[in-house]
Amino acid sequence: MNSFEPQIIAFLCNWCSYECADSVGRAQKEYPSNLKIVRIMCSGRVDPQFILEAFQKGASGVLILGCHLGDCHYKEGNVQAMKRYIFLKELLPQFGIEKDRLRLDWVSATETEKFTMIVSTMVEDIRQMGPLVARR
Amino acid sequence: MKAGIFICECGPNIRDAIDINDIATFARGLDHVVFTASFNLLCSEEGQNLIERDIKKHNLSHVIIAACTPKEHENTFRKVLSKAGLNPFLLQVVNIREQCAWIIKDRVLATQKAKAMIAAAVRRVALHEPLEVKEIQCESDALVVGAGIAGMSAALTLAQKNRKVYLVERLSCIGGKAARIEKVYPHLECASCVLDPLMDEVLHHKHIEIMTFSEIQEVLGSYGNFIIKVKKKAQFVDSKSCIGCGACFEVCPVKVKNEYNEGLDKRKAIYIPYPGALPHIAVIDREHCIRFQGKECNACQDACPFGSIRYEETDQIKELKVGAIVLATGFDVFDPKRASQFGYGKIRNVYTSLEFERLLSSNGPTGGKILLKNGEPPKRIALIHCVGSRTKKHNEYCSGVCCMYSLKFSYLIKEQLPDSSIIEFYTDFCLPGRESQGFFNNLAGKEGVDFVQVKNIDSVGLTQRQDNILITYKDMHGKRKKLLFNLVVLSVALEAARDAGKLARIFGISQGKDGFFLEEHANIAPVSTSIGGIFIAGCAHGPKDIQSAVTEGQAAAGRIFSQLIPGENLFLEPITAEVNEDSCSGCKTCISLCPYKALTYDSVKKNVSVNEVLCRGCGVCVAACPSAAIKARNFTDNQIVAEIQGLLQG
Repeated sequence: MNSFEPQIIAFLCNWCSYECADSVGRAQKEYPSNLKIVRIMCSGRVDPQFILEAFQKGASGVLILGCHLGDCHYKEGNVQAMKRYIFLKELLPQFGIEKDRLRLDWVSATETEKFTMIVSTMVEDIRQMGPLVARR
Repeated sequence: MKAGIFICECGPNIRDAIDINDIATFARGLDHVVFTASFNLLCSEEGQNLIERDIKKHNLSHVIIAACTPKEHENTFRKVLSKAGLNPFLLQVVNIREQCAWIIKDRVLATQKAKAMIAAAVRRVALHEPLEVKEIQCESDALVVGAGIAGMSAALTLAQKNRKVYLVERLSCIGGKAARIEKVYPHLECASCVLDPLMDEVLHHKHIEIMTFSEIQEVLGSYGNFIIKVKKKAQFVDSKSCIGCGACFEVCPVKVKNEYNEGLDKRKAIYIPYPGALPHIAVIDREHCIRFQGKECNACQDACPFGSIRYEETDQIKELKVGAIVLATGFDVFDPKRASQFGYGKIRNVYTSLEFERLLSSNGPTGGKILLKNGEPPKRIALIHCVGSRTKKHNEYCSGVCCMYSLKFSYLIKEQLPDSSIIEFYTDFCLPGRESQGFFNNLAGKEGVDFVQVKNIDSVGLTQRQDNILITYKDMHGKRKKLLFNLVVLSVALEAARDAGKLARIFGISQGKDGFFLEEHANIAPVSTSIGGIFIAGCAHGPKDIQSAVTEGQAAAGRIFSQLIPGENLFLEPITAEVNEDSCSGCKTCISLCPYKALTYDSVKKNVSVNEVLCRGCGVCVAACPSAAIKARNFTDNQIVAEIQGLLQG
């Protein structure tokens, strides 16, 4: 189990969170290579289907990062993201997926420490959880 | 499909962290990939030429560029595709610098991640569709609402050959609140000297059409092509022949409070707001004119030497076609009756700052003389700062101008009444900028001007003591103190205009929690709104001084200037949403989610359509559509799913 390396899909909005990932890069701060980023214009673009698709195709965790509430480039897209997230999280156990494998957080473009912490913590937590039950 | 992959080494940045040969070999083995190349610096001119040459040489149909973040050079590379004859959207940029080279120290892991990302990009780009940058014909004329200092500045900046500006004003004269001020800080310059030339220019400008006594009724259309319905209220006076001689109001039997002098004196039912108001044309106030209440009266018509009175005039609706709109509808002041400790409206000789401006004004009710109600000049005057500002009870914000205008009052009082003594009650001074501190310092040395700091303005109370006003307050040590005055000026907060909510609904823009119109972005898009083509300026957008109001008026005009060029089309952002009318069920879920009002329901076709002028491509509606009838261009469901699959399965 210790050799298990989870793959994590992260949906990052173009404005705050993708920009934050770029800032982390520019600052050359290390974070686990397990994170694979999909750029979208707004966290509100994340269709619950994308998340299920990611789990189905082999992700052990899915992360959504958006602008802080109130800072959304599109006013309230992140609020819609949050609403769908809360709803989907409740449904995940029905698909045999632990709730904690899906996470949502907000980062501004400069919160590089927060970004690396969110990612490192998530990778470590999911490493501990092991693969999806369905795949064990 | 013939995909080509270009790998940028970014000097040593990527080359040292990732095995370039390994990923190139890997990429060549992917489906659809017919060509791979790596280069030291793809963004350089040499690099761009190389991409262009290889696209043509190998007849590539799709391009993947593995390099730095797309936020840096996506547009650069799109232009290269265009130059090479490819649609610029048949490109996917893979961020192997910020997301691999710079954050993974282990070369093997970095190379592995880069391979997954390239595989994902190949799968994704295969599903890309060529997108066109659409152009629409647009009106270059503009509408400015509100003829105060901000609106006039916007109008004057915009008006030019081939561009007409409609300047719509609710009142019968232009100039706004600034025209009611005698002198402006920081140079104590005569306000008329600053404003009158501006007003003259606006009035006589070839390309500005002023519509006074007019209100916006309806706004249709969108950026580039708005249709505006304006109600020109009947003024009952012919604007062409009236010269504002005043013969009519001398004979009018009706007296009402003059709102232009903040109710400090009376005007007639036919009136000119104040001497020198522009345009200098009389107007009949039909609410108070007895003729309109059914009584027999022709006094003004009989007295008019020019035959200008037109009782039969009716309200007119005019339709305007404009490409963009500037809202500069101003502010109202805080009503101190809402803070009962100041006794405003009950205690004699307690004025708001705007009333005091009128008392100071040479065209105001006292001809500019500072007088008590009994006709005597005051000896002891108190100025109370922050009335209605900086308190959670009323307005949490600082109005930002009250300190400066209160200091100005002290200067002007001392000029007129050198023997008077003044106390300014304040909690903090707000004196930003180049000139404010000096303005304060010069006053602070003057005899008879004192500053008393109180911990909290809410601790200040006013009571009537015979003809005087007793002010009680707690000093900074919490000690209760009292002082006697003849006249008190309350430096009241600037608030959102009373009709801001109504205007926001008509124009479909948002208001902040304080009621002011909300900007698109507080720092980088301060004069645009979430609705394309609608801009805001001046105090409609928040409390500000004259200089800032002018700046915003000119800034809003500048935004329009750079986009709505007479005779040219408006370019639209190609990455927008698109509705498949056949699969749309007309549930309208998307409409309420769109912050830009870009989606509309067609009740005949029973489906929704996207206005591409307004859509900003966030994709919130796409994710919400239960029928999967909306497509996010360049971020389609299948493009994103293909990318996910590539990232996970190679």
